[in-house]
Amino acid sequence: MFGLIGHSTSFESARNLARSLGFEEYADGDLDMWCSAPPQLVERISVTSPTGQCIEGAYIDSVFVPEMLSRFKTAKRKVLNAMELAQKNGIDITALGGFTSIIFEDFKLLREQQVRATTLDWQRFTTGNTHTAWVICRQVEANAPQLGIDLRRAKVAVVGATGDIGSAVCRWLSQRTGVQELLLVARRPQPLADLQQELGGGRILSLEDAMAEADVVVWVASLAQASSIDPGRLRRPCLMIDGGYPKNLDTKAAGEGIHVLKGGIVEFGSDIGWQMMEAAEMANPQRQMFACFAEAMLLEFEGLRTNFSWGRNNITLEKMDLIGAASLRHGFQALGLEHPAPVPSFSST
Amino acid sequence: MPTLETTTSVDSALGPLEGSELPDFTTAAYKDAYSRINAIVIEGEQEAHDNYMSLGTLLPDQAEELGRLARMELKHMKGFTACANNLGVTADMPFAQEFFSPLRNNFQAALKDGKVVTCLLIQALLIEAFAISAYHIYIPVADPFARKITEGVVKDEYTHLNYGQEWLKAHLEESRAELEQANRDNLPHVRRMLDRVAADAAVLHMEKEDLIEDFLIAYQDALTDIGFTPREIARMAAAALLG
Repeated sequence: MFGLIGHSTSFESARNLARSLGFEEYADGDLDMWCSAPPQLVERISVTSPTGQCIEGAYIDSVFVPEMLSRFKTAKRKVLNAMELAQKNGIDITALGGFTSIIFEDFKLLREQQVRATTLDWQRFTTGNTHTAWVICRQVEANAPQLGIDLRRAKVAVVGATGDIGSAVCRWLSQRTGVQELLLVARRPQPLADLQQELGGGRILSLEDAMAEADVVVWVASLAQASSIDPGRLRRPCLMIDGGYPKNLDTKAAGEGIHVLKGGIVEFGSDIGWQMMEAAEMANPQRQMFACFAEAMLLEFEGLRTNFSWGRNNITLEKMDLIGAASLRHGFQALGLEHPAPVPSFSST
Repeated sequence: MPTLETTTSVDSALGPLEGSELPDFTTAAYKDAYSRINAIVIEGEQEAHDNYMSLGTLLPDQAEELGRLARMELKHMKGFTACANNLGVTADMPFAQEFFSPLRNNFQAALKDGKVVTCLLIQALLIEAFAISAYHIYIPVADPFARKITEGVVKDEYTHLNYGQEWLKAHLEESRAELEQANRDNLPHVRRMLDRVAADAAVLHMEKEDLIEDFLIAYQDALTDIGFTPREIARMAAAALLG
């Protein structure tokens, strides 16, 4: 059985979701009440692969909302209690969605393995970052040419380059895709220098300078930095893959020739028949989901019930190949641009 | 990878984790708060003993098992009395007796009417879940003597919660309506008890938010095992969240 741990994108949307699911008492409660509310297993799901294989899973809402980020103990408790609930329900492999894996890593919850009577078994959880990184790379490779961007001559900026997903994307783009130049953007100099050395290339730039040069931007950093984007300085055309969380880059960078694509989102080949992705505000909630969630499904399909994506900077190209092949085999497709601009004539000559 | 660094500094975020360090057990403020918290625990164990003995009169074929549970509660009570002595604190028993009176009155009324289901909900689910959550939150911030004793007790309390669960699971269909009514009548009392104890608990480094969520997890686990659906449970539990 696979599991997904998710949460609403805001307190307001959480209340609306509670009301729509018939949890009226929760819908009317204030944030303090939500801080004390335990996680809920809200939905059971079955998914059938094009191979005919059918797997069962469950969606757990951690009852976390981003408004709780400033309450460290609350955020920590929400994540640990949701993980405990997944384990108590016998779920073999659970993806940590949205802020769940970020809180787990940044608040160092590896030190908190004992939750009441339950010793958390890390093997049962995955951040889903390997699949997310693979999907983002596919999105770059498939959508840039549609905009007339030849990746072999393109500069690709990776914002958040030293993170788990960012570093994996850099490795793939430099070794597999063969982009002309990688522009590396991150906050801390030392990890950036280490990454550059590991890649054997790439240019370290400030966010502002990278934005002015990039044909493709892969955004896998916190959105707090996005406010400094000046759309007037972006190249045209520019493909922006919004792989951050939550995804609202399109509100920060809009304009003629700027194409923002929600990054790390996949679409399944048929309707799943669940309610929960409506909460995540997907365009097609019956088929679309975060790639990290899909990773838990893929690991279940493949019988790889293990913490496939775990810790930081452990994503290898081999693992991306493995999860990518599984993704294609079981009917997932990376989200693409809906209405790409016509390819300018010069690129076809 | 998205990171929290821009919304919450990791350094400041890590502060509270280290902030669960032990309180100073020797201060007057600690001992004053402890006199009430400890009394509640002692009284809770005494009530539990009395309640299981009473339940034995309603369920004569189970009287032996219930007597065994009751004796465990008395053993716990002695352990917690020793914890107070160890810190040189005198438990405020009149406070604790009054603290438990709403649940005690409801239990006694149900006992008089022969309502086994209500009695089990009050004692074997609510009071046990309340105790388990409080002990879980207390253990990391307890003095070394009390910590050892509490760790032993919490294992026993799970078996008590389990006793109520098993009986109610076996009789769910005929008990459902009474369970829901008993939940409505008694869960708000638990919430008020948690509210009343919050300030003293905070002195012991136990936070109300943690206590409520832990209590609800234990209670929801019990209701899940008994056979309620997640939505029924969320609705029942809301009575504790809304007070």
